[in-house]
Amino acid sequence: MDLHGVITGRVWRLGDNINTDLLHPPSYFSLDGRKVEEGLREGMQRLGADLREEHARDGLVIVAGENLGGGSSRETSVRALRTSGIKAVVAASFARIFYRSLANLGIPPLECRGIQRWVRDGDLIRISIKDGFIELDEAGRFPISPLDDHIEKILQCGGLVPYLRRMLDGI
Amino acid sequence: MTSGFTGEIIKAHADGGREGEYLSVKADFVLLPDPMLALLLTDLRELGGHVWNREKVLVTVDHFAPPSTVEGANMVKRVLSFVEEEGIPHYSLYGGICHQLLVEGPWVGPGMVVLGADSHTTTAGALGCVATGLGSTDILYTLITGRTWLRLPEASRVNLTGKFPQYLMGKDIALELLGREGESGFLYQAVEFYDLQGIIPMDDRLALCNMVVEGGAKNGLFSPDEVTRSYLEGRNGPSGQWKWAFDEDPQYRRAMDVDLSSLTPKLALPHSPSLVVDVEETEGETIQQVFIGSCTGGRLRDLEAAASILKGKKVAPGLRLLVAPASLKIYQSAMESGFLQTIVEAGGVVLNPSCGPCGGIDKGILGTEETCLSTSNRNYRGRMGDPSSMVFLASPLTAAATALRGKIADPREVL
Repeated sequence: MDLHGVITGRVWRLGDNINTDLLHPPSYFSLDGRKVEEGLREGMQRLGADLREEHARDGLVIVAGENLGGGSSRETSVRALRTSGIKAVVAASFARIFYRSLANLGIPPLECRGIQRWVRDGDLIRISIKDGFIELDEAGRFPISPLDDHIEKILQCGGLVPYLRRMLDGI
Repeated sequence: MTSGFTGEIIKAHADGGREGEYLSVKADFVLLPDPMLALLLTDLRELGGHVWNREKVLVTVDHFAPPSTVEGANMVKRVLSFVEEEGIPHYSLYGGICHQLLVEGPWVGPGMVVLGADSHTTTAGALGCVATGLGSTDILYTLITGRTWLRLPEASRVNLTGKFPQYLMGKDIALELLGREGESGFLYQAVEFYDLQGIIPMDDRLALCNMVVEGGAKNGLFSPDEVTRSYLEGRNGPSGQWKWAFDEDPQYRRAMDVDLSSLTPKLALPHSPSLVVDVEETEGETIQQVFIGSCTGGRLRDLEAAASILKGKKVAPGLRLLVAPASLKIYQSAMESGFLQTIVEAGGVVLNPSCGPCGGIDKGILGTEETCLSTSNRNYRGRMGDPSSMVFLASPLTAAATALRGKIADPREVL
């Protein structure tokens, strides 16, 4: 993906310690993409997401608090985010497996403190990874922690599978 | 660098590749449980990739064991085809939970780097290795290249001191630490344990390392000692790699003590493993189901502890007691020792070794507003069934005492 452009989307706001079982209930583990996507809708409903169809059409950006994505390594939770068109995931801090899986599936995981309390579901958000900030209409700009070179490289390839393919092809 | 043994082990496995803060690190062994393996097989095939070293992986069918849905059955089918096509020598079909099978076998020991496609891979750190969980795509990378990318974590040292009372288990120590530090207290850290008197049994160490991930840790590790040595020498097949892999004194970011002699039985309230209280504070809460099993609480010492409380008694009317030994080996030992007989006579149902109720997969899913006390590791909302169900986490001793009363009970009252 192009990390130089501006990502715009609608906020889906989450609290602290939202684990993968909450985000994507275990019974929706599947190899069937439709069922995996359905699991995310169930998770959104259980977590009380207040989003409308047009928000989803614009593309969503998760904005969460501390320790996002703890618990199970089931990658279906992140696959569901990818197929549902989540453009980026912003959190004050991430659980490690979830952080890696986001990058591995080509979704930028962005660390940013202090923004969570300024956003509501459906708010417009603009992210410039290159310039290192997130912009909100009313609350202004919030700095994001720079991505590690390794994570940036994986994201530029579009995820770990294309990264690996390039490596195997000797590019 | 304050990254403990973990940092030394990672550096010893680095192959020289580096991107940003990540080192390219060689893996000694990879654990592949059925659902997470099934998830990566399409990508593996599309890449035309093969397992870099067939001797260094263990495939387990433990989540869908045996499958209770057509979809599960088809995932197992894919996994078994993979085993056959790749000629994988080490695999287990319904033989037990991956994290237990991994440490029972001859494959892992102190100083190694062990990766698994499941978050509770941290369990194996009880043997003195760096063992950590990864998502399926990360594991795909490792399967093809034999490597992964790791950062050096900060390490916390935990000194376990004092006498280990009969009413306590590794689970209580894990809950004590989670209660102190919270769900993100160990975020991205290595947690390294020192059993200063060499008195904590391996089964308790495994339970403790299993649950460090509930505090966000990258891995848990027990400093290898005589308990480690005798465990490695006593298990199936060769004793694994036994050596003091660590020449220098490891450095830590911080240290903390847990005085076992003053610890009391602990319990985690719904819906977080770090919402921890003393068992006596919740005594009397009505429980409909007790589950003794999982990669945290289904080992031989767990079953022995439960049997010691259930012996000659009956579970409370209406209470469902489900017991799942973590492996077939444990199942057989518990049968030979009479623990299973005791459990069945008390009114318990013995399930086959598998993940089962812990992840809400099968055999004991909770209905609307039901309550369960479980020896497993996670009580997140909806994990074991309906989102309105309530799960409490505690040791097998507390679980057995609770099964007898039908209400949460302190094991000190019945021991």
